[in-house]
Amino acid sequence: MIQKKICMVGVFATGKTCLVQRFVHSIFSPRYLSTVGVKIDRKEIPVRGEPVTLLLWDLEGRDGTRDVNPSYIRGAHGLIFVVDGTRRETFEQAFEIRDAVTGQVGSVPCAFALNKADLADEWKLTKADEESVMARGLYGVRTSAKTGEGVEETFKWLAEATHQSTGA
Amino acid sequence: MTSVRSAPVTIDAFGLTDRGKVRKDNEDHFLVADIHRSVNLLCGSLSADALINRVGTTDALLLVVADGVGGGPDGDLASERSAAAVLSYVGGAAFCFNGLDVAGEHHLLGDLEESIQGVHQQLLKEAGGPRVKAPATTLTMVLLVWPRAYFVHVGDSRAYVRRRGQVQALTRDQTFGEYMVSAGAWSEEQAMRSRTAETLASAIGGSELTPNVGLIDLEPGDSLMLCTDGLTKHVSNERIEEVLGLTLNARAMVEQLVGEALDAGGTDNVSVIVARGVA
Repeated sequence: MIQKKICMVGVFATGKTCLVQRFVHSIFSPRYLSTVGVKIDRKEIPVRGEPVTLLLWDLEGRDGTRDVNPSYIRGAHGLIFVVDGTRRETFEQAFEIRDAVTGQVGSVPCAFALNKADLADEWKLTKADEESVMARGLYGVRTSAKTGEGVEETFKWLAEATHQSTGA
Repeated sequence: MTSVRSAPVTIDAFGLTDRGKVRKDNEDHFLVADIHRSVNLLCGSLSADALINRVGTTDALLLVVADGVGGGPDGDLASERSAAAVLSYVGGAAFCFNGLDVAGEHHLLGDLEESIQGVHQQLLKEAGGPRVKAPATTLTMVLLVWPRAYFVHVGDSRAYVRRRGQVQALTRDQTFGEYMVSAGAWSEEQAMRSRTAETLASAIGGSELTPNVGLIDLEPGDSLMLCTDGLTKHVSNERIEEVLGLTLNARAMVEQLVGEALDAGGTDNVSVIVARGVA
């Protein structure tokens, strides 16, 4: 059985839990409840004809005074950095977090989920911002846990990328 | 009371259950168990270096509360068997706590879930199938392998962590009301008024079982508290936060909380466990 540990990382209230809930359970909750510690969900998806179980570690959001706990990231096969597209500062902060955690997990596939895409009127990211994700060699996509936009796509891309990077 | 030495902290843990003032029986069960795997070397010629990682104890602390569903058959049986199944698994798997890697952690959590699924299936089978009302229970458990606390949760018992003066819930109630509020279909007020809000949406022996799984790395000074809803029906989160902040040992905290639940009416069975990481 192939298992891949995927960590959801980002500052608080960017929608990490909502993205996991949408992907795993096809539900969306508008109520914000901060995650304490790590919640772990799993979902099996086919990758190149093989069943792959994604173990989704939904990490508590980083706040101003506390970094991501490195021991939560240990052994991750892939990372999803979640950005709140209506709070531009979370975009920069996601790169800061990436710089901090890359040293701990090495070069593993990373996706940037530019989340809350349903809130078009409040969107603060420019086209240049979004292009800069790709320019850095990262996979970036607009997502909405509310509508489901980009959600399956992001997890499936990461599953494929982790499968490819480890050869299993 | 149990005190587990696990460098750099000592864990002070205690649990208590009470029938309450209204219920005829106590259908709650709880346990606090420290898990050791040790080798007692009587004599030998190995160097101290060779003995490191081979001799010693692997300490883990298992905390479980389970609240048998009242109004149905044998709720106390369901809660007792569920707690015992977890203890049985953890006791038998003690070898794997030492230096768990990522795959080992997933294996451990998967097996804990499976042990719960096993009891669930057995209860349904003994009752005569999924369409028959079987004995049912909640279960909230923490396996603490310092500093990591793994938790598995089913139903509306709760686990909290107190850190730097703030108490936060590790678990979310798996009730119909909580799901409706989460989905935005009900307001908090509507849930409080509804008769069906407290119906369990997930229970061992129930029609649905969807365990929640997670973990948290504790810090010296943190406290964990597990409880059944006989506490939270009567004692507010604010009061729980106050009591967990008092300069008391785990036993005194538990006795204080259970006493306050009883003083406030004790309408349900109440079980509380507190575990403190003492630097």
